[in-house]
Amino acid sequence: MTLPSGELLSISIDANHFGSSVHGTNNVACTACHADIKGFPHPEFTPKDLRDVAIQFYPVCQQCHADKYKLAADSVHQKAIAGGNKNAAVCSDCHNAHEQPVLTDSSTGKIKPEERVKIPVTCERCHSQIFKAYSTSAHGSLLLSTGNLDVPTCTECHGVHNIPNPTTAQFRLKSPELCAGCHTDPVKMAKYGLSTNVLNTYVADFHGTTITLFQKQSPDQASNKPVCFDCHGAHNIARVDDPQQGLLIKQNLLVTCKRCHPSATDNFPASWLSHYTPNRQTTPLVYFVQLFYNILIPVVIGGMVLYVISDIIRRTMLRRKGASHS
Amino acid sequence: MNQNRVKEFVRFSLDRRIEHILLLISFTTLCLTGLPQKFAGQGWAEAMIAAMGRIETVRIIHRIAATIFILEIVYHLVYLAYKTYVTRVGMTMLPGIKDIRDGIQSVLFNLGLAKSRPKAGRYSFDEKLEYWAMVWGSAIMILTGLALWNPIATTNALPGQVVPAAKAAHGAEALLAFLGILVWHTYHVHLRSFNRSMFTGKLTRQEMEHEHPLELAHIEAETGSAKREAEVTKRKRIFIPVAGILTLALLAGVYSILTFEKTAIDTVPPVETFQVFSPLTPTPIPTAPPQPTLAPQPGGGALTWDGSVGAIFQQRCGSCHGSSGGFSAKTYADTMKGATSGPVIIPGNADTSPLVVLQAGDHPGKFSPSELDQIKAWITAGAPEK
Repeated sequence: MTLPSGELLSISIDANHFGSSVHGTNNVACTACHADIKGFPHPEFTPKDLRDVAIQFYPVCQQCHADKYKLAADSVHQKAIAGGNKNAAVCSDCHNAHEQPVLTDSSTGKIKPEERVKIPVTCERCHSQIFKAYSTSAHGSLLLSTGNLDVPTCTECHGVHNIPNPTTAQFRLKSPELCAGCHTDPVKMAKYGLSTNVLNTYVADFHGTTITLFQKQSPDQASNKPVCFDCHGAHNIARVDDPQQGLLIKQNLLVTCKRCHPSATDNFPASWLSHYTPNRQTTPLVYFVQLFYNILIPVVIGGMVLYVISDIIRRTMLRRKGASHS
Repeated sequence: MNQNRVKEFVRFSLDRRIEHILLLISFTTLCLTGLPQKFAGQGWAEAMIAAMGRIETVRIIHRIAATIFILEIVYHLVYLAYKTYVTRVGMTMLPGIKDIRDGIQSVLFNLGLAKSRPKAGRYSFDEKLEYWAMVWGSAIMILTGLALWNPIATTNALPGQVVPAAKAAHGAEALLAFLGILVWHTYHVHLRSFNRSMFTGKLTRQEMEHEHPLELAHIEAETGSAKREAEVTKRKRIFIPVAGILTLALLAGVYSILTFEKTAIDTVPPVETFQVFSPLTPTPIPTAPPQPTLAPQPGGGALTWDGSVGAIFQQRCGSCHGSSGGFSAKTYADTMKGATSGPVIIPGNADTSPLVVLQAGDHPGKFSPSELDQIKAWITAGAPEK
């Protein structure tokens, strides 16, 4: 049928597709969702354009999917809809009401691998530029080429229904935890020869210490210290040993530093220990300074404590004897 | 002689005591704001930071205290130069062999291996130890602190690794200084006996006899003021302008180092500049694209069965009125033959033809108004085949 906007809306449903969809296999009747259709003639069809159709229809999903619907109500998409942005995604933009295949494997309760790889493609419908960056990233290229189950799809980082706004200070401050979810997992990281020390070395450094404090003490305040994605990229994350964009290439690191430290020069990037714990090979100066103080502090303070103790004992003994401390 | 015996001795003049208070305030503030940063991640450290405000506030307080500390050091250096050049007092704080001997003797005495404590001059070995530890510590803390304050300037001249090394040294030396003060200073001037001279400026004769017997002897032995005032005044005249210029230069240097660089920009630039909503074109629609029903194309032909009317019958009636059933609209002959109940078309009389009459009723299949007009016209014209 033709909508007032001039757009065409197909009103025929392919019975085969519907029959094999999650709704069809669960015998959800047409009128379970199209509950206003009670007889003939049908009530007036009010949507003015295709977007209106989706927006008018999606609240029916909550009849059966109240939990997901409630989660989605807190999402950045729903907030955008509430703010008048009709482009923001509603249920049926990601899930096809008539042809949605079953997503989860009922035996494991987890999303099926063949459905998981489709997640970024689903988001691509509206976020094609981001998808393009993701598809060539260290994560996306692995997922799309091999269906890898370790790399994150969109939803691992952004959530599924209650997708938060990723541009807030809160999301930014919490993001290192998000990355650490996988990057401190020894089993996962061992498969790819990646270090699990990335979080603690970050937190030990000035940037990470500050971000951690902000996250704990003022999570909604903006900080000018970088989080993981400020240096590594968010969607276009490249491997550090990438021959073109890798941060192991000193020039690339300097360019990255200069985004926040515009006057930085050649030696500056080395002031960041590149997620290394100070050691004799890569950072001998830091290593020996630490070693020096690890010896000096106990020796000096231990010596002082021993002297003070001996002095106290001597004074006490002399006082008991009644002798003057001369 | 006994009448001349003084009961109290000035140990620290007012400016010395002010120096001490400046150090006391700045050092304590530096510890309170610095150590929690070194130990950030520990509950107590984070509680301290939260109590002082935000981490950025704590860092600003730390830098203000550091500035006071550095200015106090500058003042101390000028003062030392004055004492050494103008008044020519002995450099009583310089360490010597006697201090090592005194230290050993003290240890031996405490262990019961020496009969008496060493006799101290103006500054005992434990006071000198603290003073020189302070000199060492201040040098390390100021140098490493300024490197951390100006990391870009530092790496312009030195390898990048100097910055994290400075951070390691700054934190470790701070811990050493804090513990040193806590153990050595607290014990010697607060616990062993409370030495108020740094605040009152005075020591009693008894205290002098006990703590600084050699200095007391030295003071008692001095026969009047033999200082040649004229010479002092002369040296003062040289010292004041020279020291004034040097001090100003030093202060200018401190100011420029502290305000040297803007290390980072205030707001991190966005990491990506993608258009967030960038739908694929055309936006896929959830269902298969609609296949609009093709409109019948009878209009072009002549007003005969073969020309246009036959096609309308095929289109509108064909699906029900095929070869089987009571009526077939398949061919001209079948149509004209009519239904089992009789003809449906009366050539020349459209309005009474049952086919037209039925259209006004509830027959499920309906012609469009224009098709109906066409068919009426065809019947009126005699319903020709060709």
